[in-house]
Amino acid sequence: MKCDGRGYIMGDKTKSTIVKTMIYVFLILVAVIYIAPLLWVLMVSFKTNAEIFSSPFSLPESFYLENYTFAWTAGKLGIATLNSFIVCGVTLVLSMLIGSMAAFAIGRLRFKLAKPCMTFFLLGMMIPVHCVMIPLFTRFAKMGLSNSLTGIIIPYLTFSLPVTIFIMTGFFQSMPNELIESACIDGASIYGIFFKIALPLARTGLFVTGLMTFVANWNELLLAMVFISDDAKKTLPVSLSKFVGPYNTNYSQMFAAIIIAIIPTVIVYCIFSNQIVDGLTAGAVKG
Amino acid sequence: MEEHEMDKLLRNKKAIIIFLTPALLLFTVVLFVPICQSIYYSFCEYKGLTAPEFIGLENYKNLFKDKSMVFALKNSLFFLIFSCVSQLVMGLFLAALLTNIKKGRNLFKNIIYLPCVLSSTALGLLWMFIFSPKLGINQALEKFGMEGPLWLMDTSGFIILPMWVIAFVALWQYVGQSMMLYMAQISGISTSLYEASYIDGCNRAKSFIHITLPLIKPMVATAMSLNAIGSLKFFDLIFNMTEGGPNHRTEVLATHLYTQGFKYNKYGYASAIGVVLIVLCLLVTGLINKFMKTENYEM
Repeated sequence: MKCDGRGYIMGDKTKSTIVKTMIYVFLILVAVIYIAPLLWVLMVSFKTNAEIFSSPFSLPESFYLENYTFAWTAGKLGIATLNSFIVCGVTLVLSMLIGSMAAFAIGRLRFKLAKPCMTFFLLGMMIPVHCVMIPLFTRFAKMGLSNSLTGIIIPYLTFSLPVTIFIMTGFFQSMPNELIESACIDGASIYGIFFKIALPLARTGLFVTGLMTFVANWNELLLAMVFISDDAKKTLPVSLSKFVGPYNTNYSQMFAAIIIAIIPTVIVYCIFSNQIVDGLTAGAVKG
Repeated sequence: MEEHEMDKLLRNKKAIIIFLTPALLLFTVVLFVPICQSIYYSFCEYKGLTAPEFIGLENYKNLFKDKSMVFALKNSLFFLIFSCVSQLVMGLFLAALLTNIKKGRNLFKNIIYLPCVLSSTALGLLWMFIFSPKLGINQALEKFGMEGPLWLMDTSGFIILPMWVIAFVALWQYVGQSMMLYMAQISGISTSLYEASYIDGCNRAKSFIHITLPLIKPMVATAMSLNAIGSLKFFDLIFNMTEGGPNHRTEVLATHLYTQGFKYNKYGYASAIGVVLIVLCLLVTGLINKFMKTENYEM
């Protein structure tokens, strides 16, 4: 009996080690599928064009950095990165401010139309940007807003608002009443309460929504491509898409351009990966 | 008295207006009015130079005659179904594996999530090179003496090879998000439920089917709606991998809208495509929520 029992436990243990090993082998394979393409592009971006075809999978013979300098200058990636930063930064700040103001009104202030307002904002989440591009484009052309960074900041901001408002409303509603009460007794105005108490307390919400907004706008291609034709105003995805195209035949320079475009995100992600992943997931769960 | 004071403060009409106006204004001017305009344009002949001219259902009739539109609709629907199913299966599978291990869980999780935050323009171009005729995979196959197919140019079959390639790249890029959603839900399930099921004689597989699956059903609805809308809006990868080619065979609704609207300036016709897109979005999310939404169990 005793022997049986031990044997059973032993069997169970070896079985579970086998299962564990299989899980790890599978996960390592998956990880290779994720990392190998990125590493391959990084590797070939240091090669000469001829080397890519003669020895595609070996380490580069020498680090041929001209690819990078050429991609940076000819692809106008420097100015594009700067434009992307300006657009995403301005959108981020404005959407956090305007979004949390509206969310505070809906979640905390007392008025009859709070629910219909929320529904109106939530409808915005269902609407793809493609569907409003044509009227916006013709309108902005008339107003002289096409081909300017302002022209893409406005739609980016609007499309970042629904999710910001939705998440921030949740944060403001879950805030304890006493804090606002005591501030009220201290004689604070409603604006004081919003800026000095509610906003600092909803830091997590601001982080989550800010992250979602920044990532989405940083990578946005379609709208930026339609609205901007001037090379000096293009954002990173647009410049990249234009530089790396069917008419370019120097592969190593195009690979260098791809690396330049993704390396900032990869570095930031490597440092803050846990916060980023958790923040974006929290946003998606709530949104 | 205090409550009255606070109530007065929170009912401050001026404050409510100040807080709400910027958002409401932006929404009305940039979203609501353009949507209405877009619906109106879809009934018009409008090429941008002259004012829109009402032509009734003409644009919609032309949609059915347009061969590229048929490809686009077929590809978009294929894409929708493929991504809903594949993301559900793979996302759930990866989440189940990762919640069962302790060492390296974060590392694997972060690696799989990485492409979600990267630009799909850059990743699309990257995969375009990997699947191009003379580079990447075909170079590797050549080493083994095999000749690889034209991954992004082959046009045989009902769903052509490039669509499968793009669909798998999209799965590769976005499965991390579904996985994270499912992981968040699974780790919220109390361990006492599993302990009870083991005492009752369940093994891991059984408890996965009887406990995990029913409890994550609400999250399946959320993740699926996100996938569905994402796949209907899908643009970046296709535009950068094939630009809708060869011969419009990999066109989806978004790329077709872009080509018609901004390459040929057929604003009216493109608006009609946009209306189809928005109707599909509303329909699909409605259906998913109707069939998948269940009450949230206490966990």
